[in-house]
Amino acid sequence: MSKLTSEVEVLHVEVHRRMIENGEWDRILHLLSSKLSESGWADDLLHRAKENSRSMDPLSLQTILQELLSHAQTSVPLSVKREITTLIKQFVREQFEK
Amino acid sequence: MSASPDSTHTALFGEESTFSNEAHPGIEPSVSSDTSENDINRCSHITSVFADTSAKAGIVGKFKTVVAWHTRRTHSSLHPAKRRKVSSPTCVDTKSGSVFCSECEDFVFDDTIDDLYLSTVLSVEEQKTKFQVEKRGREPYQPWIPTGDESIILKDAATVPCQGRRGLLNLGQTCFLNVILQSFIHNPLLRNYFLSDRHNSRLCKHSDCTCCEMDNLFTEIYSPTNTPFGPTSFLATTWKVSAEMSGYAQQDAHEFFITALNQIHGTCRGSTNISCNCIIHQTFAGQFQSDVTCEKCGTVTSTIDPMLDISLELRSKSGEPAADNTLASCLRRYTKPEKLGAREYSCSKCTKASHEAVKRLSIRTLPPVLSFQFKRFEHKTSGKAAPQKIDAPIRIPLSINMAPYTTLAMNTTGKDGETGYPGPVAMYEYDLFAVINHEGQMDNGHYTNFARFQDEWYRFDDDKVTPSTLSDCLASNAYMCFYVKRHLDYKPYVKPTYLVAREKDIVREQAMEREKEAARMKEVDDALIAMV
Repeated sequence: MSKLTSEVEVLHVEVHRRMIENGEWDRILHLLSSKLSESGWADDLLHRAKENSRSMDPLSLQTILQELLSHAQTSVPLSVKREITTLIKQFVREQFEK
Repeated sequence: MSASPDSTHTALFGEESTFSNEAHPGIEPSVSSDTSENDINRCSHITSVFADTSAKAGIVGKFKTVVAWHTRRTHSSLHPAKRRKVSSPTCVDTKSGSVFCSECEDFVFDDTIDDLYLSTVLSVEEQKTKFQVEKRGREPYQPWIPTGDESIILKDAATVPCQGRRGLLNLGQTCFLNVILQSFIHNPLLRNYFLSDRHNSRLCKHSDCTCCEMDNLFTEIYSPTNTPFGPTSFLATTWKVSAEMSGYAQQDAHEFFITALNQIHGTCRGSTNISCNCIIHQTFAGQFQSDVTCEKCGTVTSTIDPMLDISLELRSKSGEPAADNTLASCLRRYTKPEKLGAREYSCSKCTKASHEAVKRLSIRTLPPVLSFQFKRFEHKTSGKAAPQKIDAPIRIPLSINMAPYTTLAMNTTGKDGETGYPGPVAMYEYDLFAVINHEGQMDNGHYTNFARFQDEWYRFDDDKVTPSTLSDCLASNAYMCFYVKRHLDYKPYVKPTYLVAREKDIVREQAMEREKEAARMKEVDDALIAMV
């Protein structure tokens, strides 16, 4: 079991490294952030974080993160999620075909 | 009047980063640095590290390196880390420049770091900003350091509240005027211009001067009174100078916006008909480029047109309001290549009139303040059908990157969809500061607006001003919206014409004084000769 997870981890590190070196990481990141901004996801999250922290005492980043994390993860629009996952899958496929 | 305070002034309002530095510069710093030393909320760890000079120098140096790296880096960077460790116990978010203290487990604020972040970002951007036509780079920013005389004046000067929030009375269906005035009041560039006394209504010799009305308006808004204000004289001047706006009829806010811009431009000292750099053109003027490509020989004919704002269609080509309208999708539609019919265009090169061509619109020059209008009022050209209002929702973002819609980006796109545009990404970032809404129908509606001061949103309904939130503002159905560029840059070494015109006026007045004096002397001489 532990061998399996470590294999996955090694693979992850390798894919991550290749993505960065090839510039794909930045391209996807840029696309993702512009999609999330256009869909209103980023502004909604900013609004929630700000309104939550207005009455928070003591004010703490960890608390804000805890409060928003699950909402943030579930509210990513499906179309954005699909598009980005497709891009990543495509990249991985290309890398292994070579 | 010497030239130095003026050049520092332009530098001052150029450097405004709209979120962090909206307070009046030059007055606060001495006070705030004193208080921060004793601030109990200040992170004790960073204070203790900073107490050691060599440790401080190390952190400051590393901070500079990572921030500069982030600002410089374009899309082909090799390094992934967004947050870089500067030194134990702190690390920094290179995007925002915020410092994270791992012992406090939170972001901490420090004046030294804040200043350092702004100056580093600025210096890298100054190096990297390129202009399309000018060969020279950006004019470096010079901070304003009060001279001896100025600091004496500042010492005795009463501080003015830096928040201008005052409701405007409805003077009989004048909500169209109120919303536009609120958008002017919250426009950082117009505000800085008028608050720094660039057009003094007491010294202005013109009558029915809209610039004077703006000056008076800002004086009223920033006065200690906070009861609603009735912009009667602004309205009266508008009636006098523009016939189509006069009377108590309902007006379109966008029409008034354009009229007001023209009036302010016209009454500005030193305004010109072409490539004007009055405050209105410095703030709102940009350029469109329209490229027509001949399908047969591939010749591209480009025309450049000036613009003060962008009017966007809410309907797609098929005529139905698009289901998922966003500002970005409207802009994409706006800049989409469009097929011209066979008779609409004749190529100058192959001279045959009957073939097809593709027209594409893009933004050649981005203005410091972008104003968008969504075409909600539809006048049918055929038939007698009453004009219709399109209520289709539109989603607008708090900040938008305008790079994809520029001529530069479109010309570099092509090879496998890769976009590369010169200059730091931050030069294309815009932040929302005002939104205008229209409620009701075509002929009996009401205008309201939202506006931002620093990071807080307020809703304005004529004389009523209420605190609001970002999501309420974004959820409202926008008719017009205004964005300001996050980091301003200046053209290299250009002197605004209003300064040139003022200097000329002074020279002329002095010459006239001298002539008068000479004439008087001559009279005395003549009288003396006559007596002899």
